[in-house]
Amino acid sequence: MSTETPSQPRANRFGVASARLILLLLRARAILVLLLLLILFSALAPEFLTANNLSILTKHVAITALLAVGMTFVILTGGIDLSVGSIAGLGGMVAGYLLTQGLSFDGVTHFPPVAIVILLTICACLLVGALNGWLVAKAGVAPFIATLGTLYIARGAALLISNGKTFPNLGGTASRGNTGFPAFGQSFLLHVPTPVWMMVALFAVAWVVATKTPLGRHVYAIGGNERAARLAGIRVAQVKLATYVFSAFCAALVGLIIAAQLEAAHPATGESFELNAIAAVVLGGTSLMGGRGSVTGSLIGAFVIGVLADGLVMLGVSEFWQVVIKGVVIVVAVGLDQLQTRLEVRILPYLTTVRTKEGHS
Amino acid sequence: MSQVNQPAAEVILEACNITKRYPGNVALDCVTFRVYRGQVNVLIGENGAGKSTLMRILAGAEKADEGTLLLEGRPVALHAPRDAAAIGISIVYQELLALTNLKISENIFAGRELCRAALFVDQETQDQRSTAALNHLRKPMDVSIETGRLSLGCRQVVEIARALDQGSRILILDEPTSALSASEAESLFEVIADLKRAGVTIIYISHRLHELLHLGDRFTVLRSGRVVGEAIRADATRAWIVERMSGRKEGAHDTSSTSSPTRTVVLTVSGLTLPGSVGDEAAQAPVHDVSFSVREGEILGVYGLLGAGRTELLEALAGLRPIASGVVAVRGRKIRTGNVRDALRAGMVLMPEDRQRDGLFPELSIRENVVMAAKTGLFLSRDEETERACKLVAQLHIAAKDVELPVTTLSGGNQQKVLLARCLMCSPSVLLMDEPTRGVDVSAKAEIYGILRELAAKGLSIVFTSSEIEETQALAHRVLVLCQGRISAEFARDQLSDDGLFAAASPSVAAAAGAALARPPGGTA
Ligand SMILES: Nc1ncnc2c1ncn2[C@@H]1O[C@H](COP(=O)(O)OP(=O)(O)OP(=O)(O)O)[C@@H](O)[C@H]1O
Ligand SMILES: [Mg+2]
Repeated sequence: MSTETPSQPRANRFGVASARLILLLLRARAILVLLLLLILFSALAPEFLTANNLSILTKHVAITALLAVGMTFVILTGGIDLSVGSIAGLGGMVAGYLLTQGLSFDGVTHFPPVAIVILLTICACLLVGALNGWLVAKAGVAPFIATLGTLYIARGAALLISNGKTFPNLGGTASRGNTGFPAFGQSFLLHVPTPVWMMVALFAVAWVVATKTPLGRHVYAIGGNERAARLAGIRVAQVKLATYVFSAFCAALVGLIIAAQLEAAHPATGESFELNAIAAVVLGGTSLMGGRGSVTGSLIGAFVIGVLADGLVMLGVSEFWQVVIKGVVIVVAVGLDQLQTRLEVRILPYLTTVRTKEGHS
Repeated sequence: MSQVNQPAAEVILEACNITKRYPGNVALDCVTFRVYRGQVNVLIGENGAGKSTLMRILAGAEKADEGTLLLEGRPVALHAPRDAAAIGISIVYQELLALTNLKISENIFAGRELCRAALFVDQETQDQRSTAALNHLRKPMDVSIETGRLSLGCRQVVEIARALDQGSRILILDEPTSALSASEAESLFEVIADLKRAGVTIIYISHRLHELLHLGDRFTVLRSGRVVGEAIRADATRAWIVERMSGRKEGAHDTSSTSSPTRTVVLTVSGLTLPGSVGDEAAQAPVHDVSFSVREGEILGVYGLLGAGRTELLEALAGLRPIASGVVAVRGRKIRTGNVRDALRAGMVLMPEDRQRDGLFPELSIRENVVMAAKTGLFLSRDEETERACKLVAQLHIAAKDVELPVTTLSGGNQQKVLLARCLMCSPSVLLMDEPTRGVDVSAKAEIYGILRELAAKGLSIVFTSSEIEETQALAHRVLVLCQGRISAEFARDQLSDDGLFAAASPSVAAAAGAALARPPGGTA
């Protein structure tokens, strides 16, 4: 069958080779953009590539990356989670309240140790995540609306906890036995900041789940065709619930990290973080329609956003221009995504024909 | 065969007094359906009779309002598809539900992934078993290809492979051959025979009567949600089936009234070659140097096996696919290739093969779906449009309680008719139809043929593909046979024969079989 094109012209071979290259470049575009930015900034600002600065940079990136990794699963199912920023803010406030105000039973105020504070904070955030999941998976509310609602609910709750005030001095006091909280965001392990380790660990887990486990397959399947997934016997509601809860877990970590880094909890923390997270996911090539994308892409996307933000600050670009540039980068990235899809449709058949021919010979 | 020796075949599954109501519509009205162990249980009925609804209930995808299911005499409750899978019922749905973003092997194991260490997906074993299941169906594919890139027929094979691999006791096939051509269907029948020998119970639904008569052991006929007839193989005849289904005797087929086309050539295609497509052996055989012309009022059939390039050819004519080389002209005017609007402007309309993916707007109503194509017209007012749409709905016997209901509430065959109605709404001069009667029942088919012949007599040129030889013979003035992307034969109406078509469509047996086997499943070497 493969003998039917005896005179495959030379130009065609060349075309195939260049098509392959273009496709490869497009697929690796997120990482290319990242490299390009790194080269650009280190050329323009010599202090950019210093160990100290990179340490600060990765700390910034970790915040976006944690949220983006959680968001990836939600988006892969075809949903969206707008509430992560608010959940992070709420998490910080819960931790702040527990550390500075304590819990009172029968008129006696108890100050729980830091480990318990962290656990309780995470539980509080998971509840919001579970609410998201319940609204979307069981009550059938559109994810955009459901999480928009919880965005306001969580933010309002954060404000209510302190009446809009900041909880300062989260360092704790030795007499109350609750010191050590700032270490959550400020400590180092092997010269690497703890939040960065958290990012790495969470990413590793998320990557394994997404690519190696049935749960990951189910997430992709639901995003591809929810009805088909249900008919294939996949527990659609449970899987969706799990994605929202996981996203809230990531947001809780972010809230704790920020509170620990500042040693203070402010109710407005995390405003518009969700947009950064979504941008990172989209930059990483995950489709907002669901079913396509990867956790690795989101991590790279988070790095692009972080590097861009820090680099522009270093170059002294005005804050307003920074916002514009970030927007342009997102729009271009999504444009490239479309281009890739279109090119793949055109090029892939071409490549497959060649591949099968090679297979024969 | 052994029918006589088994007087009391055992009932394995019984649906008792099942009633299912939809808003404003009773789909099943106290239906009792018995499924006999180790036999092919055939369910027949017109479009909208309630066959698929009953199957969805048996597969746990839908719950009956009333009635019980008895498995080997014990009542079972099915709340979800996985419950049915757990008791050994697997199904191939009529509306194919592939996860288009996943690989073939991931599709075959979706929702029941094989695990290593109870945690990680065992991709290798999944790939192996998928490959084996597809080979069993004699349709080897590269299982790491994304399912969305497969043709409809290949997706159907994938779904059948999925159901087969589950190794269930009861296998439900709801129109499994509607997108398959004769040779693929033949492979499926062999598999069914094997399964039967292994004691698997099969429930089979199809509108192709010859298949039913060939396969079936038990026949149950549904009409408007009621059982109106049951028979064993010995008593079932074509006439009985048709009479039971529609409640009237089968009318004589009117094939004589075909007008002959005029001399004027409307569509000319010369040297059409497409860049390769993926998914099956078609990867090596896109459309190659195809030339033909169609005259005014002519009905041209394009016959070929799955992957012969039929769909690709029609899609290219309609401007949906880029063309590598060649010229398409309508009434002497060259069409800009790969441009849908230009094809439409020239009056060329495509009725796509996959109504779910390419055809219908599932959220919109039946009327809106029909009217959609005519929206841009200058001359029709809305009322007129609606009136014409309703006329078409009546003419095509679309069994709709209300044309304002979403189109997805219709049965599969009726959705197909909606698609046809839409294509007729825009008054094309060349109608390209890909499997025009997929899933349409026998009497409605005859009706549709009549309408198409009438339109042809008025000057409409039609190019259609069909995987059914009977349909090709009934409708076409002239038949082109495609084989691996090339025209391998041309028959005038009076030269048509089953054997001739079949021989021309099959690639020379040795070459094909050899190449198919030689090709490693992985594709790359
Ligand atoms: N979701 C739904 N909402 C409302 N009505 C429905 C729905 N699904 C099916 N129906 C109706 O139930 C009836 C039976 O449909 P069903 O799909 O079972 O028919 P069928 O026998 O499989 O027909 P076909 O041969 O065309 O596939 C039809 O009248 C259809 O309109
Ligand atoms: Mg049906």
